[in-house]
Amino acid sequence: MRGLFLGILYGMVIRSFLKVIVGVKYVNREALKQEKQFIIVSNHNSHIDTLAIMGALPFGQVQHVHPIAAGDYFGSSKIKAGITKLFTNAILIRRSKNAEAPNPIELMSAAITRGESLILFPEGSRGTPGKMQEFKKGIGILLQMHPEIFFIPIYMKGMGKVLPKGERLLVPFDTYVHFGNPKKCVSNEVESIVKEIEAAILELN
Amino acid sequence: MNIFTSKTYLDNIEVIAIIGIIIGVLLFASTLFYVWGLLKPSADLKELKTRTNSWWAMAALIIITTLVHPILSFIAFGLLSFVALRELASISKNVREEDRRVIIWCYLAIPIQYFIAYKGWFNIFVIFIPVFMFVWIPFMLVVRGATSEIGRSMSVLPTQLMLTVFSLSHLAYLLSLPNLEGFHAGGRGLLLFVVFLTEINDVFQFIWGKILGKYKILPKISPNKTWEGFIGGILSTTILAYFLRFLTPFTGMEALIIGFCIANAGFVGDIIISAVKRDIGIKDTGLLIPGHGGILDRIDSLSLSAPTFFYIVYNLYYAV
Repeated sequence: MRGLFLGILYGMVIRSFLKVIVGVKYVNREALKQEKQFIIVSNHNSHIDTLAIMGALPFGQVQHVHPIAAGDYFGSSKIKAGITKLFTNAILIRRSKNAEAPNPIELMSAAITRGESLILFPEGSRGTPGKMQEFKKGIGILLQMHPEIFFIPIYMKGMGKVLPKGERLLVPFDTYVHFGNPKKCVSNEVESIVKEIEAAILELN
Repeated sequence: MNIFTSKTYLDNIEVIAIIGIIIGVLLFASTLFYVWGLLKPSADLKELKTRTNSWWAMAALIIITTLVHPILSFIAFGLLSFVALRELASISKNVREEDRRVIIWCYLAIPIQYFIAYKGWFNIFVIFIPVFMFVWIPFMLVVRGATSEIGRSMSVLPTQLMLTVFSLSHLAYLLSLPNLEGFHAGGRGLLLFVVFLTEINDVFQFIWGKILGKYKILPKISPNKTWEGFIGGILSTTILAYFLRFLTPFTGMEALIIGFCIANAGFVGDIIISAVKRDIGIKDTGLLIPGHGGILDRIDSLSLSAPTFFYIVYNLYYAV
């Protein structure tokens, strides 16, 4: 039931909206169909980013893919957290160290063990449009724990113009979502894994 | 409400004839490039094939929307304007970050302009974008308060509206023209006449340029365009216009002159968009991403030939 709801919401409603009105163009979307389980890693400039990735997923996949979202932003109230989880399938994590919430890495790792897929923005926040910030280490730790999991790099261009940080009005512009083919990490050290992923994303630019 | 007007449409023998011709030409082109590719696998036909495919899409759009209720044509042309404007606004580096919100006004002008065209309010149609929006956009830019380089935005944004919305809306307005006594093909005939001639003029120019091309016409803007292609294209289009005049109320002489005007306007539209793209630093808007054709490359000639044709026809036959 939930799969059908999310499948129709993203596969039809949101995808048509993104393609016809916003002007999102997918390049090499077939990369999503090659593996059953994966971690999507992408650069991050806008709230549209998550929708654009979710809207690209194959129909049956949507309910098994969870965007990792900032708990302090999307979970600031119970209602906000509920809505975020209902409509985006998100896993909310804490961004600061001293909060009493569960460890983000453990939450993500548990989802992977259950056979679920994740969407991660290793930059941690949306930042300034068109600029990529340094990646956080979490993705490295996660892939070190699960070296058998494929990661799919995505490079998005123009999303920061459609809906930049701090803006409420969505303005249509042509935007591109480049999907890279699924890869496994070569190294097993956290920092070099992060570097590998960063390079894979930049390569798509 | 019965939205299908296909009965009257099928009575319209002239329109049926031109649709037959269009489908025939496209079938011929697709088969030709397919066989050519089989016989000579080394030949680079990708560009030709993509072009043919986009003509199929365009033909389907125009044929299907004219076949069903006219309001669908207005929606379809409105969407075409929207996609073209969005593309132009996206590749344009002349627009500042602060103008993001003002661009919404440009988008909002599209449904208004097409609604006016649908209603056939001619006097408002001709001034809404060139006069009203020409003032409204600078006003909105001023209200937002960022004055640095505001003059550039004041000229770029209305120009983009003119090239993509005002120009193309004339195609839709053709369908709102009143019926003329003794002229059966009507607005649909005129629409097919101008679109078909404009597109085929591009093809003629391309073919003549390939066969005879030697002297470059505007090497700094469009290095592939030659005098031979330009003249050959204009002559072919002018002659073809004479034979397609059954779609129009024109006499033979008028058809020749109007065909000549369409061909020239198409060329000018093409090089204007080419020059805009050169300024931005890309040759084909579609080349931004391989496999994603830019709509601007397809409508560049139409953006000038449509209004040119419209005003000639309007003043010859519809102005009271």
